[in-house]
Amino acid sequence: MKRILSGVLAGAMLLALCACGGDSSAPAETTAAGTDAPAETTPAEASTELNIYMWQQYISDELIANFEEENNCTVNLSYMSDNADAITKLTAGGGQEYDLIMTCDAYMESLIAGGYVEKLDLTQIPNSSNINEAYWTAKDYCVPYLMNYIYIVYNTETCPIDITCYNDLIDPALKGQISTIDGARNLFPIALIALGYDPNSTEESEIAEAYEWLVKFNENVVAYGAAEQNLTNGTASVALTYDGNTSWAMSEMGENNTLVVADPFDDAVQLGFDLYVIPTGAQHTDLAYKFLNYICDPEAMAKNLEEYPYSCPNDAAVAAAPESYRNDPARNFSYKENVFFQEDVGEALTIYNDYYQKLKVGQ
Amino acid sequence: MASLTKVQRRRKALGILGDVYAILIYTVLYIPVVVMMIFSFNDQRYNYYWSGFTTQWYGKLLSNHALMDSLWYSIIIAVLATVISVVVGTLGALGLKRYEFKMKKFINSMIFIPIIVPEIVLAVALLIIFMNIGVSLGMGSILIGHCTFCIPYAVVTIKGRISGDGETLEEASMDLGANRIQTFLRVTLPSIMPGVMSAAFLSFTLSIDDVVMSNMLAGAKNSTLPVLILSMNKSGVTPDVNALTTIMILVIVACMLLSNAVKAMLRKRSQAA
Repeated sequence: MKRILSGVLAGAMLLALCACGGDSSAPAETTAAGTDAPAETTPAEASTELNIYMWQQYISDELIANFEEENNCTVNLSYMSDNADAITKLTAGGGQEYDLIMTCDAYMESLIAGGYVEKLDLTQIPNSSNINEAYWTAKDYCVPYLMNYIYIVYNTETCPIDITCYNDLIDPALKGQISTIDGARNLFPIALIALGYDPNSTEESEIAEAYEWLVKFNENVVAYGAAEQNLTNGTASVALTYDGNTSWAMSEMGENNTLVVADPFDDAVQLGFDLYVIPTGAQHTDLAYKFLNYICDPEAMAKNLEEYPYSCPNDAAVAAAPESYRNDPARNFSYKENVFFQEDVGEALTIYNDYYQKLKVGQ
Repeated sequence: MASLTKVQRRRKALGILGDVYAILIYTVLYIPVVVMMIFSFNDQRYNYYWSGFTTQWYGKLLSNHALMDSLWYSIIIAVLATVISVVVGTLGALGLKRYEFKMKKFINSMIFIPIIVPEIVLAVALLIIFMNIGVSLGMGSILIGHCTFCIPYAVVTIKGRISGDGETLEEASMDLGANRIQTFLRVTLPSIMPGVMSAAFLSFTLSIDDVVMSNMLAGAKNSTLPVLILSMNKSGVTPDVNALTTIMILVIVACMLLSNAVKAMLRKRSQAA
């Protein structure tokens, strides 16, 4: 009797499991079918929906609203908290959920090699001619959106020394004063340059030396992340951060601004791009192309820059941007050409990650 | 006499020590919450530093559609995950406790696997499975993901409440003419109700503040509140999020007080009977 009962209960449990699986996956399946159907049966019909996966607080609501109105569609924005989120979703095969994904230049080589992104038909993006070729790597696969210099900014009133190179950052006078961006592939290049090596080095001995440099740097760090916050509220007097964040911090301080970009600066600074790719298997590529073309439009982009004052690879848009953007002190520095890019370091990434963990945990 | 006062003195000292200990623990636990609440009244766009008192964020909260939509999305998922986990958890707990079958021990210990395995591993595994079998991401995928860790907790919690004498009561109930369903509803379920309630609260809490699983399994159209808040990290969390969280904490505290009141009432009733 008990045996039968246990069977029944186990069955009920299974059924319940299946039921909940069925219940919950049913709407998912129907939505999948819903998005599949129009694409398969009537390929010529225009999409009415565009799914974008990108950073939060990085594109103007007005731009999105205008695009929706012009193309009679809905744009669904969902946000990542880290570049790795987008990469994980793409590599797990989740690409077809989205029509456009934001990623950065450092990942492009691997993404192309893995076949995770669609090759672009640039004839469908005529406005892309506005983009400065110098800032356009992997041209056939992506459209750069905005870009970031990682440089040093400091408070002239509270910072005890003048900073003109990375080695100044390990000066003991700066103990507990630096607010810095985080991440192995952001920190190690700076140490490598300070030591006179290639910022994308794959030599373990050089990376190990860079680690030693970063240990000294670490002693001066008061906080990782949130540089604009730490600069404005006085937690830090120096920051290694993005130009966009510096712009926020400077405008937040308004007339009492005492922040300056370290200039002259002897070492190369990192320049990174946030760019859009069309993931392999995207459902609404027609709208994706229209959107890419729209963000390359100088007028539309210029308005966007007013709200999000980041550096932009679109020269025509920069020219069309208001005075306040073009004269922003955060982007007014003399070494814009002295830059390096983050490159794919292949297998050496494990070495970086090991030393980075060692740096974070502290041996 | 002297020794007695010594004991009393020692007791008093221990009592003070206990108070200090409790105050310390609660301070550490609640200072972040209090600071978070205070900053919901901050008159600044990004909460960089304190710059004046305002209640505007509570008003602006209602017009922040992204935030409100993701809140509803989170609540719907949490409620569904709770219902599923409690139903499956109750059936599972009863089956695993009361009945003998092959591999019972094995299945019993298997329950702990989703609890022990790091969530990110489960999340990525589920993502890969969903993508391979063609389940599109959205509420369904998040819900299944949440159930994978809520159900084991529910089973374990409810199992702990099932006592040995429940079985004799059930037999007595059936001896007296109740059928199995009547017995379950009127004898078994009430006896394990506290466990079921704890499991429900636990599942709801786990689901509503989950970020790892939701982040991986969210589709293109909606995301849950914790995922949205995490994604704000790049540019700074705005005070309306603090306002929303403050309201949520107040609601949760109210719910807990209510639940305690109901429990006290039930206890009184059962004592009277």
